Amino acid sequence: MKKLDKTLIIGIGNNTRKDDGLGWCFLDILEEKGYNSDNLLCKYQLMVEDAEIIADYNTVIFIDACKNQLKNGFLIEEIFPAEQVTFSTHAVPPNQILNLCETIYNKTPKAYVIKIEGFKWNIEIGLSEQATQNLNNALNHFEQYFFSELVN
Amino acid sequence: MNKRKIVIEPVTRVEGHGKVTIKMNENGEVDDAFLHIVEFRGFEKFIQGHPYWEAPVLVQRLCGICPVSHHIAAAKAIDQLVGVDPENLSPTATKLRKLLHYGQVFQSHSLHFFYLASPDLLFGINAPAEKRNIVAVAESNQELAKKGILMRKFGQEIIKALAGKKIHGILAVPGGVHKTFTKEEREYFLDGKQIPNVDTMIEWSKEIIDFMKTYHTDNAEWIDNFAKYPSNHLGLVDQETGALELYDGRLRSVDSEGNELLNIEDIEYSYHFKEAVEPWSYLKFPYMTKYGREKGWNRVGPLARLNTCSHINTPLAEIERQIFKLYTQNKPNNMTMHTHWARLIEMLHCAELMKELLLDDELMGDDLVREGTPRNKGIGIIEAPRGTLIHEYHTDDKGLITKCNLIVSTTHNNEAMNRGVRSVAQNVLNNKPEITEPMLNQIEIAIRAYDPCLSCATHALGQMPLIVQLEDSKGNIIDEKVR
Repeated sequence: MKKLDKTLIIGIGNNTRKDDGLGWCFLDILEEKGYNSDNLLCKYQLMVEDAEIIADYNTVIFIDACKNQLKNGFLIEEIFPAEQVTFSTHAVPPNQILNLCETIYNKTPKAYVIKIEGFKWNIEIGLSEQATQNLNNALNHFEQYFFSELVN
Repeated sequence: MNKRKIVIEPVTRVEGHGKVTIKMNENGEVDDAFLHIVEFRGFEKFIQGHPYWEAPVLVQRLCGICPVSHHIAAAKAIDQLVGVDPENLSPTATKLRKLLHYGQVFQSHSLHFFYLASPDLLFGINAPAEKRNIVAVAESNQELAKKGILMRKFGQEIIKALAGKKIHGILAVPGGVHKTFTKEEREYFLDGKQIPNVDTMIEWSKEIIDFMKTYHTDNAEWIDNFAKYPSNHLGLVDQETGALELYDGRLRSVDSEGNELLNIEDIEYSYHFKEAVEPWSYLKFPYMTKYGREKGWNRVGPLARLNTCSHINTPLAEIERQIFKLYTQNKPNNMTMHTHWARLIEMLHCAELMKELLLDDELMGDDLVREGTPRNKGIGIIEAPRGTLIHEYHTDDKGLITKCNLIVSTTHNNEAMNRGVRSVAQNVLNNKPEITEPMLNQIEIAIRAYDPCLSCATHALGQMPLIVQLEDSKGNIIDEKVR
């Protein structure tokens, strides 16, 4: 089993809305590859209480589908606590969850967002062909470069 | 001065997408005010043709905050389609459903109080918009924010343990439930090793009520008078004792003075209620047929429930109810902002009920599903966090749904919310040369007291930014603010 010591990976999305399921598919494949499922979490959207969950980890990686065009079909970037916070019970962005975590629990885990470009968002289970290609590219990059940096 | 119209769109920190229009006359006085519900999805229509057993699963997709309430109300109705009335469900199934329901009410009330309402109470109605959110609450009172998160989590963990997941899980099946509770699951909520236990939930619920009572003492003038108006109140009460009932009971309505208007078997509701429509809203206006559209509307939810019940059958919440009632000399309480106080008393009640059930060995029984003689009509009524929730289904002989009627809590509160908006608009906007953000926030606070779920009421999700438009008498936009 590949351990994700003190690292939490959160897949955000909805697998019944075509490419919006990219975040969850990413986690499904990690699990198939033997990553510890205790460190993988699928969410429809982030909520205030996720601040409590991430407070227990040193590193958090948010994975979400993206409508914008991305070079190579994906983008990995480090994120930091938001300076200003707006609030809706429907969704809270990752940098605002970091802000809440810092404010409430005095913890600031290192955090990244992996954006994967999607193309189709209709009510259907299964990724589009192009999104699947982007998912594979993102996974390869994650395993070859990103994961090794994390564990080292 | 020109006649002008003020539009608040959408209303923030409520579930869904609403819009407020305030019409002012040539003298700068408020003529009228409306809360428009502008979402529409039509669950009642597209569920037609589906097999009855799909209903408890399908209808909970109405909402991401209270799916459990829709799941349980639909399940109660579907039980009748398979010939099982509430009293014939097995004790284990009834208790498991109740535990799920109390977990739902507990987490939903926590969400509303800590995430949505507390900024208004902690920072006041004149606080800037950027301060009226949970982060500012966390900065100001870290412990309160932590407790809020953990209390909501406790309710959600109850839901997850019973329904498999926190949102859109499944426990109920026609005539019962599909799983029982294990000793390990029970210990999780009792031993306090992984999450604060149910005793801590009771303790914290009492603390939050104390916070509210102190807040009320310090701010009685505005808490008592803000958006206050007389109304009828509707809620379920225990069949025999008249106690507060959230899962199954009689429908009781009282007027603003406490006179009983209605006391009926819940399944008789359709003989006593009608729904009016207005061209400016997708949300209907239910009213009691006997009293007509003008006089027959009710408030529902925590305040209404404490006004319609005779007592609460858990000891700590009953003590708090008595204190609450003493303030109005045992008359119905028509003070809108006291809804928050009532909501916290219900949280304590739910925490006590959850403890009672968690200690009951019958929760781990294996008599899960009952059967009866199939029928073509089923009605399920519960008290959801926001108030009385009604699901009614009709089927053909193949078990396909031919008709569905949903009256959700926010729909019952439609007239009440409109009255609240009008009352506040007349108080804060009359003859004012300028429309300020705190004024607009007061309008929202009046709506927010009802914790409206506009997504449920019309069954759609919405965007949350606030747009304010000023229009002249010809409908031209003369000013616009976005936040």
